Amino acid sequence: MAKVFNIALAGNPNAGKTTLFNYLTGARQHVGNYPGVTVEKKEGICQHGGMELRVTDLPGTYSLTAYSVEELVARNFLVNEKPDVVIDIVDASNLERNLYLTCQFMELGVPVIIALNMIDVARHRGIEVDAEKLSSLLGVPVVPLVARSGQGVDLLLDTVLRVVEEKKPYPPLRLSYGDDLDQVLDDMVPLIEQGGLLTDTYPASWTGLKILENDDQILDRAMKADSTLADTLVRRSDEVTSHLQRTVDTYPEAMIADHRYGFIKSILRQGVISQRFDVDRLYTSDRIDKIVTNRFLGPLIMGVILYGLYSFTFNYSALPVDWLASLFGFFGDAVSRVLPDGPIKSMLVSGVIGGVGGVLGFVPIIMFMFLGIAVLEDSGYLARVAFMMDRIFRMFGLHGSSVMPFIVSGGIAGGCAVPGVMATRTLRSPKERLATLLTVPFMNCGAKLPIIALLIGAFFSAHQAQYMFLATVVSWSVALLTAKFLRMTVLRGESTPFVMELPPYRFPTFKGLFIHTWERTWQYIKKAGTVILAISILLWAMMTYPGLPAGKSAQFERQRQEVMAAYAPQGVSAGQEKGRPGQVAESPELAAKLRVIDNREAQAALRNSLAGRMGIALEPISRFAGFDWRTNIALVGGFAAKEVIVSTLGTSYSLGSVDVEHTTSLGERLARDQHWNPIVALAALAFIMFYAPCFVTVVCIARESGSWKWAIFSMAFNTFLAYFLAVAIYQTGMALGLAS
Amino acid sequence: MTKNHPGPVCTNCGNKHQSCLRREKSPDVEHALPLSRACAHGRVKICKISGDRRLCARMADLGILPGREMELLCAGGGGRHCMVRINGGTISLDSLTTANILVTPV
Repeated sequence: MAKVFNIALAGNPNAGKTTLFNYLTGARQHVGNYPGVTVEKKEGICQHGGMELRVTDLPGTYSLTAYSVEELVARNFLVNEKPDVVIDIVDASNLERNLYLTCQFMELGVPVIIALNMIDVARHRGIEVDAEKLSSLLGVPVVPLVARSGQGVDLLLDTVLRVVEEKKPYPPLRLSYGDDLDQVLDDMVPLIEQGGLLTDTYPASWTGLKILENDDQILDRAMKADSTLADTLVRRSDEVTSHLQRTVDTYPEAMIADHRYGFIKSILRQGVISQRFDVDRLYTSDRIDKIVTNRFLGPLIMGVILYGLYSFTFNYSALPVDWLASLFGFFGDAVSRVLPDGPIKSMLVSGVIGGVGGVLGFVPIIMFMFLGIAVLEDSGYLARVAFMMDRIFRMFGLHGSSVMPFIVSGGIAGGCAVPGVMATRTLRSPKERLATLLTVPFMNCGAKLPIIALLIGAFFSAHQAQYMFLATVVSWSVALLTAKFLRMTVLRGESTPFVMELPPYRFPTFKGLFIHTWERTWQYIKKAGTVILAISILLWAMMTYPGLPAGKSAQFERQRQEVMAAYAPQGVSAGQEKGRPGQVAESPELAAKLRVIDNREAQAALRNSLAGRMGIALEPISRFAGFDWRTNIALVGGFAAKEVIVSTLGTSYSLGSVDVEHTTSLGERLARDQHWNPIVALAALAFIMFYAPCFVTVVCIARESGSWKWAIFSMAFNTFLAYFLAVAIYQTGMALGLAS
Repeated sequence: MTKNHPGPVCTNCGNKHQSCLRREKSPDVEHALPLSRACAHGRVKICKISGDRRLCARMADLGILPGREMELLCAGGGGRHCMVRINGGTISLDSLTTANILVTPV
């Protein structure tokens, strides 16, 4: 069996880490989360020279401080998992900033290999890097490569094998951080070593450095391990901090960073870099930025690109969505033909095939949406969108990157909250991400559109376009104001400073796009086979059981027999069963009468079902918003999928199954019904737009937030908010006499 | 420069770095503007990073240190967000951050 080595890929964001990871591991990847946090953990396997390399892609970081969850995850992995080698991916065209992280790996004393990536881009910019000289000055192997094309990757893997087999010690690098800090560090290190403070995990010099940097995590651990010694060290650190504040008005961490950059500069100036052009000349990427992020042109360009992504996602996925619907329709028909009538057939057709088929029907939309996002992300444009939108979204406690999930969820009416919730992955701050994923279901997704169009068409037909536009404006307003409310209450906390390095514009690679799209889509498909299957069966059972009592069923059957007997002279004998022969079906009058009986039976069965009983039980509460039991059943059914609201309303109003594309008859029926009027319609619109998301979205919220707590919160909070709005509209409208 | 590492010798830091940081108290600081108000295309020199300890440390990690120069690429929404080029990379800074970076034009 091949020997297995653990390799960690680390580096700055945008240094090409994920490109190298994809090149090394191909499709042999496993995506999960680091324990307790929502940071993605990617692992993969790579074979080289008869050895198996288990590769972990660490989150991109600039530093190893404790300021962000990504930085904590990266450094905890390095000290706890102790990988055999850390491959530090360094952007050759931006060496100074990238080597800052390298410097910290060396301070931590981990075995590091520098993968000098994007040497082609560096050359294009007139930068030549002497890899051998860099290696000899830093004392670590340096391998030039181009991860996009794979050039130099074999040499990198050879170097990895050499380093793991050498088992050479990597003593922690100790730089000079200025006389004041060096003196304190010289005093601290022996104390830490003698007291054994965290020495089984971190080098003593690193612990000392982190105490000087006021690192929360290390201070906490030190206090827990040996509070007396930790107190002594913190006092020493506080003294030098006060001294630096008095003399140079700075903090130790700024002084330490300054000296790290000084160390890097001193290395680079020893002939490591030769530059043909001016160091600070503006590159093509910067010139594009001057146009693309221009105050006036930028929003226009962004609007066109986001609309393009939206159209691409929903137009191009329409055909495969239809194919999948036909496929599941075919399965449903096949099972219907093969199995005898009964609960097993009903469960398989309506619960399993209907439920899971409905969920898998989203797969093309999700795939196209992730492909579009991958193009924007890999090309570097998504970071610019976040930059431009940040100021507006920040007012509501959100982040510039929140714009994409909102748009995908139906910000331009007709999206879908499921991919919208999944698109929140581009957000890094946990609280801003949660506020985004809890409010994106307020957008008007494609499934809400038929019922919105139905109610507007039935009650406000003179101003349809204006009301549709109003619905979009209201959904945005409620979503943003709710986000603000959540950020002021349950998700209270400082806004994350929008400080990020913007990647240069690049052409995405096909392989990268494919892997990004597929891994995210696959996670969704896997979910459909587990939790979603169980919930769809539960919902089917709620709308089916306990069914009609035998006496009631027999009564409907008798009515059918009587109607058919009345048409007996046309060639049908009484006593024929529900499966009516062709000649009867050909009689339109008889068929219509039978359909009325069927619809009444379906209505009675629905009323008697668990969902129906819930609808009736809810009537004392729902009547404050103007909803009767029939509307309640449709709203309960809407939890399965918002499309179900129209068809369930059709059943509960004895219209039989209603095609969501053709809702005229139902609209007319509602407009004539004594329980409905324009105020009830407005209250229903508000409730439907904002109440609990469909269960697929709820499952996605649970998965993306890492807890069912937030999924349940989303159902309860949204339903309460929707009810509050509906009651307010209904009661005000009725009090003002606007019902007619 | 290094305490236990062979080879590299720092030719850039030491006294020069002390003076970079001390420059915060130089007359430049008195004429410095927050980046949020100076954000237009052009080069600026960083005079001081104000704000809390965490922000100073974060900026230092990104190489935004007193004495350094940077190129302003563009102002974002309302002219308060900035996009700057420093150390060969492009960094976006929000209004909270730019209000704490004091700069003078070069």
